[in-house]
Amino acid sequence: MNKLMGKTYRLMLMLIILIAGVMAERTGLVEYLSDPYEYPVIIELLVQHLYIVAISMTFATIIGLGAGIILTRKRFRRYAGICMYIVGLGQTIPSLAVLAIAMSFLGIGLKPAIFALSIYSILPIARNTLAGITAVPTSFIDAARGMGMTPLKILFEVELPNAMKVIITGFRIALIINIGTAALSYLIGAGGLGDLIFTGISLMQTEKLLAGAIPITLMALIADGLADFMGYILISKGLRLSG
Amino acid sequence: MSTIQFIIDNYAQVLFLSWEHIWIVGLALMIATVIGVPLGIFITGHKNLASRVLNGANILMTIPSIALFGIMLPILALVNLGLGKVPAVIALVLYSQLPIIRNTYTAIKNVPGPLVDAARGMGMNRWELLKEVQIPLATPIIIAGLRTAAVMNIGIAAIAVYIGSGGLGVYIQQGIDRVYPEMIMSGAILVSLLAIIVDGFMAMLERLATPEGIKLQRNILR
Amino acid sequence: MKRIIQLFVSAIIVLTFLLPGTLLAKDKKIIVGGKNFTEQYLLSELAGILLQDKGFDVTLKTGVGSVIARKSLESDQFDIYFEYTGTAYTLYYKQKDMEIMTVPEKVYDWVKKADEKKNLIWLDPVKFNNTYTLMMKKSQADSLGLKTISDLAGYVNENPDELIFALDSEFWERPDGFKKVMKTYKFKLPAKQVKKMSIGLTYKALKEGLVNSAMGFATDGRIAAFGFVNLIDDKLFFPVYNPVPVVRKEVLDKYPEIREILKPIADNMTTEKMQQLNASVDVEHKQVREVATAWLKEIDAIN
Repeated sequence: MNKLMGKTYRLMLMLIILIAGVMAERTGLVEYLSDPYEYPVIIELLVQHLYIVAISMTFATIIGLGAGIILTRKRFRRYAGICMYIVGLGQTIPSLAVLAIAMSFLGIGLKPAIFALSIYSILPIARNTLAGITAVPTSFIDAARGMGMTPLKILFEVELPNAMKVIITGFRIALIINIGTAALSYLIGAGGLGDLIFTGISLMQTEKLLAGAIPITLMALIADGLADFMGYILISKGLRLSG
Repeated sequence: MSTIQFIIDNYAQVLFLSWEHIWIVGLALMIATVIGVPLGIFITGHKNLASRVLNGANILMTIPSIALFGIMLPILALVNLGLGKVPAVIALVLYSQLPIIRNTYTAIKNVPGPLVDAARGMGMNRWELLKEVQIPLATPIIIAGLRTAAVMNIGIAAIAVYIGSGGLGVYIQQGIDRVYPEMIMSGAILVSLLAIIVDGFMAMLERLATPEGIKLQRNILR
Repeated sequence: MKRIIQLFVSAIIVLTFLLPGTLLAKDKKIIVGGKNFTEQYLLSELAGILLQDKGFDVTLKTGVGSVIARKSLESDQFDIYFEYTGTAYTLYYKQKDMEIMTVPEKVYDWVKKADEKKNLIWLDPVKFNNTYTLMMKKSQADSLGLKTISDLAGYVNENPDELIFALDSEFWERPDGFKKVMKTYKFKLPAKQVKKMSIGLTYKALKEGLVNSAMGFATDGRIAAFGFVNLIDDKLFFPVYNPVPVVRKEVLDKYPEIREILKPIADNMTTEKMQQLNASVDVEHKQVREVATAWLKEIDAIN
């Protein structure tokens, strides 16, 4: 039974790749991508998209990590619940709405897009940082204190390393959502690969659609793998193997 | 505030669009549940299939929503269904698969071994085991998965306006097109409100579905 | 368990039938489509109100791009919408004859005849010409001495990195669009000087100085209101764009009165009036329905 499943699975995979290839050819995608006039435009949009993602993720990571860490410190622990609730509420708000609201206040272009995306990406990182650090067994921290470590040292050598797996998961979620939402930033004048998708939809030009949709999908999948890779580097071997 | 004024002035349209939005999400959730929950239950018995199915659903959710719409359009356009509510509902169903299947799978797998043994010892067959033990205990977590899916879907449905599905996204789209800030804010606020309300509602459902015993257990552990 | 399944399935069936729209099914149903800019929202609303006044159950499906609107009409998802003669001529039929496309009657007759073969009937044309324009802020146009598109072309060729342009994707791609404009007027704006955004935003971008020039529509009320000027199309590149209600033959045969019902729009609408109505919506932020109803009452088309 399992062997049959395995074979069917592989067959399906091959079928999907075949269909994808045929689609790419028939809809003129390949032709479009190699058109010397369009090619630089596509690259430009790709670069724009990566730019937006990179900057907003940087802000989000710094703020998210920072907030998550601060909320686990003794003084602020009681605010953790409320803060997480508010930020959680923020993430219930649909991505398009956040972009639209940002545009109403900050105008059009890169500024509102990066602002909106940063805010939107903070939650997964902050929440996971908080959860990860809180989940570090108190026995570890006691042991560290017993060894004479200062709070700062405890943070960097005990709490963070142990929480890294959860934090990276949060980072990954934020990154993938970010890449997808960045596609919407075209609507408020910030460019990016969304340009190709929305143009493709409104003009019914499939090759544009796919030229936009496929790179974004690939980016998201690569980001997923990137997060795994980061886990590989940042999480110590012992934790990785036990997790 | 002028946004509230806008909503009041157009209350008929607001209600209509809200209903459209709820309809799309509701239908998608139901279909997704009908597909996802049985699938989740099924794979608890087949370990190899489980990882493959979960991986597949994971990949689906990794694809950005607008990209998925983009890819589906040309395919569905072949049967003249490229635009409108149909591709929107299909996309929403696909997106909901991961939270629903994964939560179902995890929930049923997490039913304590001793309980399953006890039930089997009492002579229950597979179906009875499911019906009397596993599903009731798994329900709160399944509902949690539905909750995630619901909130996610409300957001994606707002984007679906760009493939002609209607719903509250219309206010955001038209608001941007016509540079009509009150309309944009109305759309944004209404969708957000909808998401928050549904989230709260499902959280309540989650709590209702948790058997008393488990609630006690949780409180003791705390 | 069985009951839950039954409940579920019946819920799905009920929901499917409560599909917004199907519930209130009156006898004379019609779907009025429209594109995604203010004038189209107004025109479709005007048509919708007139039809409703005469007993039709009108569903408005607006906010889509030209190609989608056209395809929707062809695939029976729209029953009627306002299309522009020039758009049909250059975009759908990909024709280039300058003799025909710059004369309102000729291009109207051409597309009318062509569409009859597709069972699409062009009713009475509305007399204003809503052509694409390239706009600039009056102050900047004056200071740079730019009056025509040829002037602009010359300026860009000498200073390629100075001017930033805002337009929407449709205008970029169309055969009567920006790429062609650059070809005809022999200038090339580098890709990074071209900012694409939705139509409404182009006006905003120009107004706030984020770009130096933007695409616009001749009948848009914001041109005057925001202090813009239209660069003169000295090579007569753009065709004539008269809006005309295009209806599916099947629907017209069923309700031949549609032509009469929509006549007031063709008979009474002028360029100035359209600009005013557009301005009411775009600048004064009045509601489309309100503005449309007010005008129809003014011309005594409805009570």
